[in-house]
Amino acid sequence: MMTRWSDINQIFGAMDLFRNQMNTLFNDFDRTYNPGRGWGTAEMFPRTNLSDSGDNLELTAEIPGVAKEDIAVKIQGNYLEISGVRKPDAPEGYTVHRTERPTTSFSRSFTLPYEVDAAKVEAKLKDGLLTMTLPKSEAAKPRQISIQ
Amino acid sequence: MSEANIVTSNEQPAQLGRQLPVTAPAVDIYENETEILLHADMPGVVKEDIAINIDNGKMTLSGCRRLSSTGAAAWRELAEVEFRRTFAVPQSIDINKVHAELKDGVLRLHLPKSEAAKPRQIEITAG
Repeated sequence: MMTRWSDINQIFGAMDLFRNQMNTLFNDFDRTYNPGRGWGTAEMFPRTNLSDSGDNLELTAEIPGVAKEDIAVKIQGNYLEISGVRKPDAPEGYTVHRTERPTTSFSRSFTLPYEVDAAKVEAKLKDGLLTMTLPKSEAAKPRQISIQ
Repeated sequence: MSEANIVTSNEQPAQLGRQLPVTAPAVDIYENETEILLHADMPGVVKEDIAINIDNGKMTLSGCRRLSSTGAAAWRELAEVEFRRTFAVPQSIDINKVHAELKDGVLRLHLPKSEAAKPRQIEITAG
C-alpha cells in the first residue's frame, strides 16, 4: 500500500495550527492590547507594561521616534506621569502619500501599586522602548518576618 | 496514525517559536523626484530581526519584537509581536539601491527610482 505521508502530515499540521489558535483563544481576553484581534479597548499612547519583581517595579513604554530630550517623566509617591512630544519627521521637498504615524504631544499618568523611591529611578530609552526601573520605597518593600 | 503521534508532532519547538501575533506597523510614505521614502514605527525591534523582501512588485516588511520581562505582570498592553506589512512597489524602483536605517524604533526605508524613471528635462534645440 502506498501512502503519501507528506499529505497526511500537512493535514495534521493544519489541525495543529487550528488547535493552537483555540488554545490561546482566551489568553488575551482580559488584555487591553490585542494585536490582530477585534476586542481591544480604546487606544492609549504610549502603551505600557508594568511588572513587579519584588524590590522593583519595571515599566516598559512604547515610544517610537521620540528623542530622549523630548520625553519628561514625573514621579511623586505612587504617581507617575510620562509626557512628551512626537515631532513631525517629514522630510523637506517630498510629496506625502500617507501619514499614519501621529505627531502630537502625549501625556499619560499612572497610579502605581506601590510608592517608589523617585531618587533611585532609572530610565533607559532604546529602539523606541522606554524602560524604567522603579525601586519601591522602603516601607513598600517585601519583608522577611522571622518567627520567634 | 495514532493520537500519540499527533501530539508529539505538535511539540516541535521550531513551530511554536514562529507563532508571534502579527500586527501592521503605522507608516508614512513620501515621494520626491529621486526616491520613495517610507517611515515605519517598529518600537522594540532590533536591526537583526528586520527582514525586507522585494519580489514581483511586492515588498514585505517584517520585524519581530522580543521582550524580556521579569517579575509578575501588573498590566500588559504590549506584547511580543511581529510587525508585518506588504506594499505594492512600482517597477521603476531600483531594487539594488534600496537601503534603510533604524533609529529610535523607526525604520526609514529609501527606495530610489531607477534612472529611466526619473523626470528628465528635454532641451529644445533651435533648428
